[in-house]
Amino acid sequence: MLPAALLLLSLAPQTASSAAAQHVHAGIEADQQGHIDQAIAEFKEATEEDPKLASAFLDLGQAYVEKHDYASAIPPLKRALELDPSIRGGHELLGYSLLAQGYADEAASHFEKAHDTAALGISLVEAGRPADAIPYLKEAVSKNPDDPDLLYYLGRAAGLLSRQAFDALESRFPDSARAHQMMAQNYAVLRDEPNAEKEYKAALQAKPDILDVHMELGQVYARAQQWDKAEGEFRIEAQMQPGNAEAFYRLGDALLQQGKVKDARVALERSDKLRPNMPQTLYNLGKAASLDNDPASAEKYWLRVLAVEKGTPLAAQSHFGLATIYRREGKQAEAARQMQEYEKLQIERPSEANP
Amino acid sequence: MTRSITRRELLQRLAALGITAPIFDVNHPQGLDFTHLNSPTPKKYLIETMGGGVALFDYNNDGLLDIFLVNSGHLSNPQPLPEDFDRHEARYWNRLYRQNPDGSFTDVTQQAGLANAGDGNYGMGVAIGDYDNDGFQDIYVTSYGRNVLYHNNGDGTFTDVTAKAGVAAGGWSCSAGFFDFDNDGHLDLFVTRYMVWDTQHSKVCGGEWDTYCPPGEFPAISSILYHNRGDGTFEDVSVPSGIAAQKGKGLGVSFADYDGDGFTDIFVANDGMRQFLYHNNHNGTFSEVGLESGAALTADGKPISGMGTVFQDYDNDGRPDILVTVLPREIYALFHNDGDGLFSYRSLQTGLGELTAASAGWGVGLEDFDNDGWKDMFVAQAHVLDNVEEIDHMLHYKQIPLLALNRDGRFVRADCGVTQAVAGRGAAFGDINNDGRMDVVMTVLGGQPMVLLNDDGAPNRWLSVALRGTRSNRDGLGARVRVNGQIRFCTSSGSYLSANDKRLHFGLGQADTAKVEVLWPSGTLQTLENVRAGQFLTVTEPEKPEKS
Repeated sequence: MLPAALLLLSLAPQTASSAAAQHVHAGIEADQQGHIDQAIAEFKEATEEDPKLASAFLDLGQAYVEKHDYASAIPPLKRALELDPSIRGGHELLGYSLLAQGYADEAASHFEKAHDTAALGISLVEAGRPADAIPYLKEAVSKNPDDPDLLYYLGRAAGLLSRQAFDALESRFPDSARAHQMMAQNYAVLRDEPNAEKEYKAALQAKPDILDVHMELGQVYARAQQWDKAEGEFRIEAQMQPGNAEAFYRLGDALLQQGKVKDARVALERSDKLRPNMPQTLYNLGKAASLDNDPASAEKYWLRVLAVEKGTPLAAQSHFGLATIYRREGKQAEAARQMQEYEKLQIERPSEANP
Repeated sequence: MTRSITRRELLQRLAALGITAPIFDVNHPQGLDFTHLNSPTPKKYLIETMGGGVALFDYNNDGLLDIFLVNSGHLSNPQPLPEDFDRHEARYWNRLYRQNPDGSFTDVTQQAGLANAGDGNYGMGVAIGDYDNDGFQDIYVTSYGRNVLYHNNGDGTFTDVTAKAGVAAGGWSCSAGFFDFDNDGHLDLFVTRYMVWDTQHSKVCGGEWDTYCPPGEFPAISSILYHNRGDGTFEDVSVPSGIAAQKGKGLGVSFADYDGDGFTDIFVANDGMRQFLYHNNHNGTFSEVGLESGAALTADGKPISGMGTVFQDYDNDGRPDILVTVLPREIYALFHNDGDGLFSYRSLQTGLGELTAASAGWGVGLEDFDNDGWKDMFVAQAHVLDNVEEIDHMLHYKQIPLLALNRDGRFVRADCGVTQAVAGRGAAFGDINNDGRMDVVMTVLGGQPMVLLNDDGAPNRWLSVALRGTRSNRDGLGARVRVNGQIRFCTSSGSYLSANDKRLHFGLGQADTAKVEVLWPSGTLQTLENVRAGQFLTVTEPEKPEKS
């Protein structure tokens, strides 16, 4: 990841012998014409003419970098920094070259000196120090939120950190509730429902009052469409965490799937109170009200969804629900308008996604 | 002194103790030696996984239901042109089994003239109806290739009259059904077609897993409507009727007069898209009203993978409702008929969310298996992908069929008696042993069919009504029959690729008698009072209308 601007630096020669200066100028000219090998030869001549000329070493190193010959770039760049520790671009170029050769720790120290947070974060990830990397990467991402490389490295750092922590958990506390929870999560990701269920239950046996495990186990049941079991787990989590909006949302959803619309409404209303205006909660509240023959409430909730959701599948579903209500009420024009909105957003999905 | 008790007595004693027992006795009747051959290949030709039609009908009018089973054929890897599925080989024949008085069956395929369905035809489904009103049930077999209409000669033999009748269709046909859309007394024919597909344009999907492709990979196609001219020939009226205006991916079809206007409407179960409800405009045309009626999508506005369908009144409100079987992670769709031409999605309220979200359903019936006066649900189940477990550990290819009893409009799982998961496909419903209890024949993809004889111990009463039209079509298809407040629409169609006993079965609970009202397609309303329970009643349409 070499910034283009750095490569375009015009490396003006310092005070130097005229012979060395001539070689430097010739090298720059050759480089500008795309003759890298010729430029390298000229810069080499310059360093031989004047072994104290830091900029010539820097030029030589940069030419190697341009040629992607990072191994050859490292010695002249190091020499340039020995001669002039503050030489412009020296730490960045050496850092990139070292990083490209796998010397991530050493690269990090140069990026740190260059105050290049993005490259420092990346080199720390590569050095296996994700915890150190994350603050730098977060800072870099906040400055360049659309940089896919930075987003990748931030995600990778978080993943590595998570793995390191889980490895420690597993090796040091293998029978703890959290270790079983972690194993269960892994199985759940692999869609291995029986083992996920087993590990979650082991976690609960080790620590019955552990938070979030009932909710996660309920989600395993929900994915397997075992809604009665899911309801049981979500209900326990909601009792344990009466302030947890997600627990009540999931409980409401499980109840709704079983057609227990009145109980679903109670749970979903609680969730909406705890964390207002969550679109999925509002949509399900509308659906539950509709199934409960309460079209006025359904309309209210679906209109609230549309106030916060534009152009999403949930918005499409809300338009469809509203069209159904209006059709039943004989408001044909309104129904048609909602169907138009629905159809604008709706792409009929074939069953590819449904094995 | 001890005596052995019968199975029924045992079930009654268990019921008295509050212990539930299987309703069906899973049976392999003597003589029923059929094996469905679908010839799966690494090419994953879609037709391999879709076949397996079955019909329950009385072809020789001896009062016993016979069984017709559709075979598929031989596929090569790869399948060369011209396509030849070796249907001349006996193992690939469709089969007709005549029921004997002792409950055994005799293979009468060859003597009936049904031996070779044509080498170019890979078999799919079957429709049954007396299209020429001669009192004998005829057979229509659908295929990938050419469909075949067999005329029942009345002497135990059939004649292939496809060319004369003009109903060969072509392409890939799936479910089909006879019905009288213009109430002229002659049965017309509706044929669903799945998609534009052939073996030369097949593909394998699923990446590393090599699976059958989903329907979205292939273009949609219109269904076909044939009008019966009454002279043994049919006219393709798909275009003038408006049926051809809609391109779908039709797998299932069911019929009912959902708005009570006296004309039969059509529901088509489409795979992976919205469902079609064709309203009969009384003038030979249909309007597709699925979206505006609320029977096209789920309550969330999502399309479904419609496969099998049945169009009957599950909640005894007098209006036929629509049930559609689908793939897992969807829910079998129950569209409740609210009247005024509107349907509401009632899958969750009726318990189908719990019962069916992890299942894939094909053949389906709404029949009163425990004779309590409420129509129960039976579904032949299995995933479409034979390797689905490799892709998703939570799903299963072979599944136990679903039996769900109707408890005041909510369905509750019951033990169907099948203990081994199978790749269920077609299902046909009828009272095979004439004991007043509805039985099931379910086909198994690449396997032997299962006969599920109903041995429910409940002491409820029943009535079976057979219709004989005079001014209406002879089968009475399209009649609406009300018995003690329950409604059944007379049809042999519905389910998936299959045809049902055309007799109408009603559970009467504890009632000893019934009031029977028949609204014939001709418009005649016929009423019979104080009909004794526990009988097979034949109702003949009055030559002159009693009341219009």
